[in-house]
Amino acid sequence: MRPTLALIKREFTAYFLSPIAYVVLTVFLLVTGSLFVITLKLLTSDGPRGIEYPMSLMLGEDRFWLVFLFIPPLLTMRLFAEERGSGTLEMLMTSPVRDWQLVFAKYVACYGFYLFMWMPTAVYLPVVMDLKVDWNLSAWTPYSVPFVAGLVLAALGLAMMPIGWISRGALLFIAGALIATAGGYFHYRHDANHLASFTAGIDPYPVLTSYIGILLAGAMFLALGLFVSSLVKSQMVAAIVSLAIGLPFIAGVLLFPYIDASGDTFRVVSSFTVPLHFARDFTRGVLDTRHMMLYVTATMLFLFLTVRSVESRRWR
Amino acid sequence: MIHVEHLTKFYGDYAAVKDVSFDVDRGQVVGFLGPNGAGKSTTMRMLTGYLTPTSGRASIDGKDVFWDPIAARRKIGYLPESCPLYTEMRVEEYLHFRGGLKGMNRRETVQRSNFVMERCWLKEVRRQLIGTLSKGFRQRVGLADALLANPAVLILDEPTVGLDPTQIIETRKLIKELGADHTVLLSTHILPEVEMTCDSVIIIYQGQVAVQGTLDGVRAIHRANTLEDVFLKITGLMV
Repeated sequence: MRPTLALIKREFTAYFLSPIAYVVLTVFLLVTGSLFVITLKLLTSDGPRGIEYPMSLMLGEDRFWLVFLFIPPLLTMRLFAEERGSGTLEMLMTSPVRDWQLVFAKYVACYGFYLFMWMPTAVYLPVVMDLKVDWNLSAWTPYSVPFVAGLVLAALGLAMMPIGWISRGALLFIAGALIATAGGYFHYRHDANHLASFTAGIDPYPVLTSYIGILLAGAMFLALGLFVSSLVKSQMVAAIVSLAIGLPFIAGVLLFPYIDASGDTFRVVSSFTVPLHFARDFTRGVLDTRHMMLYVTATMLFLFLTVRSVESRRWR
Repeated sequence: MIHVEHLTKFYGDYAAVKDVSFDVDRGQVVGFLGPNGAGKSTTMRMLTGYLTPTSGRASIDGKDVFWDPIAARRKIGYLPESCPLYTEMRVEEYLHFRGGLKGMNRRETVQRSNFVMERCWLKEVRRQLIGTLSKGFRQRVGLADALLANPAVLILDEPTVGLDPTQIIETRKLIKELGADHTVLLSTHILPEVEMTCDSVIIIYQGQVAVQGTLDGVRAIHRANTLEDVFLKITGLMV
């Protein structure tokens, strides 16, 4: 456990020591920000123009996926390729850790960075859902104090994790969440009035399903990148190859513009075209298990192959 | 302490190490010699578990490096040939990371890394980025890392390469001192170094063990005055 934590911590902080992470974060924020502005304009415009599902404009459009295509390869390219290139992999593989721990730690670190990248987009959510909060402070009970304090602690713990205090942050987060849960439960038992009640003017579930989709699809692309990175010595090659393998998953149907949309070819190609999954299902509040199954199994397959590929280094 | 039995490694069709067997007893400092490409690094990499032998077996303190790799690696401090390090980390930070990786808890890690930094003369650069250090200092960081978990066995692949004369002398002295508490397997090209630091010697040539024994023993058998003569005789340069 401790070696894995030490590895995760190093891999995660290493992102912030390289310029590529800041480039990715900036470009990502610019793109999602501009998409948000467009969404906002459509949400507030009068007349016949408007949108049914705000999320389908943000994540269901090709604009977003064109940028997204480049993000996972940039995040994963260095993970193994750099270490093989500089020889530090020898230091890792001769230390008392299992190969799967190595792969797991690297994957968790890059997935953590991926989550970190998405975190700022939470700022858009109140607008996208048209969220309103009604405070009812007369419902305040003694139990609300631990509830609020627990939430603050948990937030503090989350904030600590990116700056290097991973285990301490996680511990604080868990402790805070437990205190908040206990406080919330007792508050509810004592007085069933809500302190704050949220009402969403726009259906919030498409937002939730969009995020579930984005978390799972990202897992697949990152696992693919990790696998490619474990095969080659050069970061450039790793990035380009994982881009090339990721391309059919993103371009998919776009590669065949004149395809018959009712034919079998279309069904096959659309089964792995991720943007289509988002345009049709995730951003409209549909959780299609076929897509989720694809993402999860592909993730597991690529992680398995990565472990094997790292292991096979020893045999050559 | 180190037990190697018929170790063989093929790279494709090429046999880098052929049927190598030797034993190193506890507390010995053993010089591992041979010309370039003789299979020294390959043997060391097999001992540390970085490579898997094609056939044969090796064990460290009774732990087989193939069947019980984690336990075997816990007993080893390894300094690879090129001394690869994370250049974007600071010296102290790197040692703390390695401590965690080797399963040491926070207090142990801090304690041990302070000790090894003292031991390897790294105190004044503890806050410096490894990328900005000179070759000599990097080598010391690698050595400090090898010593970090206080392993029973130290495997050092050319620890004095690229150092200046003062550093070489300091490092040799350190290795000699380390021989008191650790079993050391040391590969090098510099023969006088072996005569100064090691108790016994293994010479490997074309993937096979050519000579092994104590320094005096080896000299006596080959009727040579220095190790250099023995080495030249084996590698066929002097008849």
